[in-house]
Amino acid sequence: MSHSLHRYGSAESLKNDFCIYSRAARGVNRDNCGEKLRKILALYLSGKAVNFGSSHSPKCYLAGLDLEEYAKSLDNSYGIIATFADRSSVLGVLKKMKEADLGISVVVSGLIDEVKEIAGEAGLVPHTALLSLGTHGKKSLLPEEGTREIVTMCGHSLVASGLVRSVARKVRAGEQTPAQGALQLTRPCTCGIFNTKRCETLLEKMCETGGKDRTDE
Amino acid sequence: MKIDPEACVSCLGCIDYCPMGCIHEGEVLFIDQDECVECGVCLHTGVCAVDAIYQPEESLVYPRAIRKQFSDPGAEHPNFKAWGRGTEEAKTNDVTGKFSHGEYGMLFEFGRPVTGTRFTEVQKIAMAICDMGIEILKENPVYGLLEDTRTGRIKKEFLHEKVLSVILEIRVRKEQLPAVVEKIIPLLADVDTVVSVGLVTRFEENGSLPVIRDLEKLGMQVRPNAKINVGLGRPLIS
Repeated sequence: MSHSLHRYGSAESLKNDFCIYSRAARGVNRDNCGEKLRKILALYLSGKAVNFGSSHSPKCYLAGLDLEEYAKSLDNSYGIIATFADRSSVLGVLKKMKEADLGISVVVSGLIDEVKEIAGEAGLVPHTALLSLGTHGKKSLLPEEGTREIVTMCGHSLVASGLVRSVARKVRAGEQTPAQGALQLTRPCTCGIFNTKRCETLLEKMCETGGKDRTDE
Repeated sequence: MKIDPEACVSCLGCIDYCPMGCIHEGEVLFIDQDECVECGVCLHTGVCAVDAIYQPEESLVYPRAIRKQFSDPGAEHPNFKAWGRGTEEAKTNDVTGKFSHGEYGMLFEFGRPVTGTRFTEVQKIAMAICDMGIEILKENPVYGLLEDTRTGRIKKEFLHEKVLSVILEIRVRKEQLPAVVEKIIPLLADVDTVVSVGLVTRFEENGSLPVIRDLEKLGMQVRPNAKINVGLGRPLIS
């Protein structure tokens, strides 16, 4: 999955938006990796994760995922991802992961320079990068900028543009707080990579500006 | 997905949740079966208070069955034993060594964000890639849908199926990158969907990513955010 790669927005908007994905590799260290994934889950939770889940869990943590059941289900999984909204939490988790030395691959999504810097502070040497070369094709189909920033926080495209617009209208009308709106918008995203903290900020901004027209990269 | 017309109370609550915008009002609410990608969001989120939304058996019959496999992250690809779009790309490269120095992985993700795609659009680019003598990588669910792995032609029965997103994944030698960018990127303007493009590259020993400069020279804009494998996998492939 390239699912946390194409998060859209300016560098400023993406500054406090991180995902840490731990993934066992087929044919290398995937067999019986459940116990290691549970240890990683504990590290995520100790590091102030905003949200977490995985693609085959029925719902993400903020949408009511049963933590105990989820931990048990990791025996049948090979990856676990969590979202963080501040640099220090990411640094703390990476330091603990290095110390735990579980041997599972770890990918951090975020601004390139910042992730490199954090990895360096944690004593890690970045190995491989997956770069985003933007979105091409029939861009007239893309939603307006503010909506696009929010929908791309679900990498499987499960958060609908219509839902974002509906929630933004309710927030603007005072029927929902930005926090309530963000919580509603995270429900379709089972992986838990939808950053509700960033979403709150984006909803507030959309309410201030009334949104922008369609945009090109 | 379908809505039971006997049970639906037309509260309209599900309409906004559909990523494809294919739930419509008629005498009762209905789902446009041609546009529905079987992602299951309308069902899994529990938005229907009267449980009128259901997955009919025909959703799981081929060729339609591939809609769910590519659109619902909780569905496993039966032949591939992986969830979602099912590719490991950079995520485990520190232990698999799938992509070495001097080569890149390229990912063309059709239908994302939010537009969905039919396999007719995927085929256009798959054929152009194969025409350059570049293979579609096997470790990806799309490979199993190819009728001819040499031409990139997709099996006819799947061409019209619509899914949320599909990733075409290829390996490109460093010297091939300019040709791929110059030939394939302009072709994306002619597909009837959006395509998000990714590139896998190894870090140099000094921590740099020289391909960014190369891409910029080719007119490509590299986004400031990326996914970075921080080298914690073991045994490490250096």
